[in-house]
Amino acid sequence: MSGSEGGEAVLTPQEGWESIHATMHRARSSMYLAGSSRILLLWGGLTPLMYLAEYWLQTGGADLAEESPWVRAPIFGVLVLAGIIGSGFIGKRAGLRNATKEISRAIGIRVFCFWMAVTMAAWLIPGAAGMWNPESGPQIPHVAIGIVTLGFVLFGTMTNFVLAGVGVGIAAAYYGPHYLAGDAALVFSALATMVVVVAGALWIRKSGVE
Amino acid sequence: MSKGPVILNETIHQSVRLRIMTLLVSQPEEARIAYRFIQRTLDLTGGNLTIHLRKLRDAGYVTIIKEFQEDKPSTWVQATPLGRGAYSEYLANLEEVLGGVALGSAR
Repeated sequence: MSGSEGGEAVLTPQEGWESIHATMHRARSSMYLAGSSRILLLWGGLTPLMYLAEYWLQTGGADLAEESPWVRAPIFGVLVLAGIIGSGFIGKRAGLRNATKEISRAIGIRVFCFWMAVTMAAWLIPGAAGMWNPESGPQIPHVAIGIVTLGFVLFGTMTNFVLAGVGVGIAAAYYGPHYLAGDAALVFSALATMVVVVAGALWIRKSGVE
Repeated sequence: MSKGPVILNETIHQSVRLRIMTLLVSQPEEARIAYRFIQRTLDLTGGNLTIHLRKLRDAGYVTIIKEFQEDKPSTWVQATPLGRGAYSEYLANLEEVLGGVALGSAR
C-alpha cells in the first residue's frame, strides 16, 4: 500500500492490478478446496486402517489371506467406498456453505471427477499391468500410492501447495518404512501417514480454508 | 482532442473493496457468496468486512441477503449488475492507467 487516506489504505494502480490477480487465484483455490481439511482428516483415519488391515493379513490373519487371497478386495473396497462417500458428503456440505448451489455443484463435480479418476487409475493401472493375481497382489499398493501421490501433487499445484506437500509426505510415509522398517513397515507407515495427513489438514485450515 | 486524466472509481479502488468486488465479480452473475467465505478467503475481521460491504452496498454495487440455512442464520453477498458494470469500467480505466497492460484474463 502506498499510503493512507481518511483511514483507508490507498492503492497504487500496480498494486490494484496485482491484488486482482492474487484475489482471483485465492478465491478459485478456496472454492476448489472446500471441505478439504475435513476430507483429509477422514482419509487420515481410513488410510492407516488399510495399512493396519494389510499388516494383520500378513501376520495374525495370514492363514485367512492364504486361503482366500481376494479377502483384501472387500476389506479395502469397503474402506475406499466409505472414503469416497464421506468425501463427497463433506465436500458438498462445505461447498453449499460457500456459495449458491449452481456454483458449488459445478466445482464439486469437477473435484469429484478429478479424485475419482485418480482412484480409478490407482485401481486399474495395476490391473492393466497384470498385477491382479495372488503373486503380484501385495505389490499393488506400491503402485497405487505413487498414483495417489501424483494426484495430490497435481491438485496441490493447481490450488494449494500444502496439498502437494501432503502427497509427497504420504509417499514418504509409505515407501520410507517399506525400505527401512522391515516386517513392521506397515505399522510405521500407518502412524506416519496419520501424522502427515493430520498436519496437512491443520495447515490448510490455518490458511483459511474450511 | 486529448482525453482527460483517467479517474479510478474511488469506491472500488481500495485494498479491501477491490478484493471483495474481484471475488464477487469473478463468479457467475447469479452467484451468491457466503459472508464467511469472503471473510476467510480474504483474511478479514468481521468488523472490517462489514464496514466495506456497507460502502459497496450504499454505492449499489452489492446486495446483502440474510437468511436461514439449516436452521442457522447465514449472510450472502451478491454483485449487482451496477456493481459488475462499475467493476468492468474500473478494469478498463486501470488498464489505461497502467499503459495498456493486458487485463483480459482478469475480466
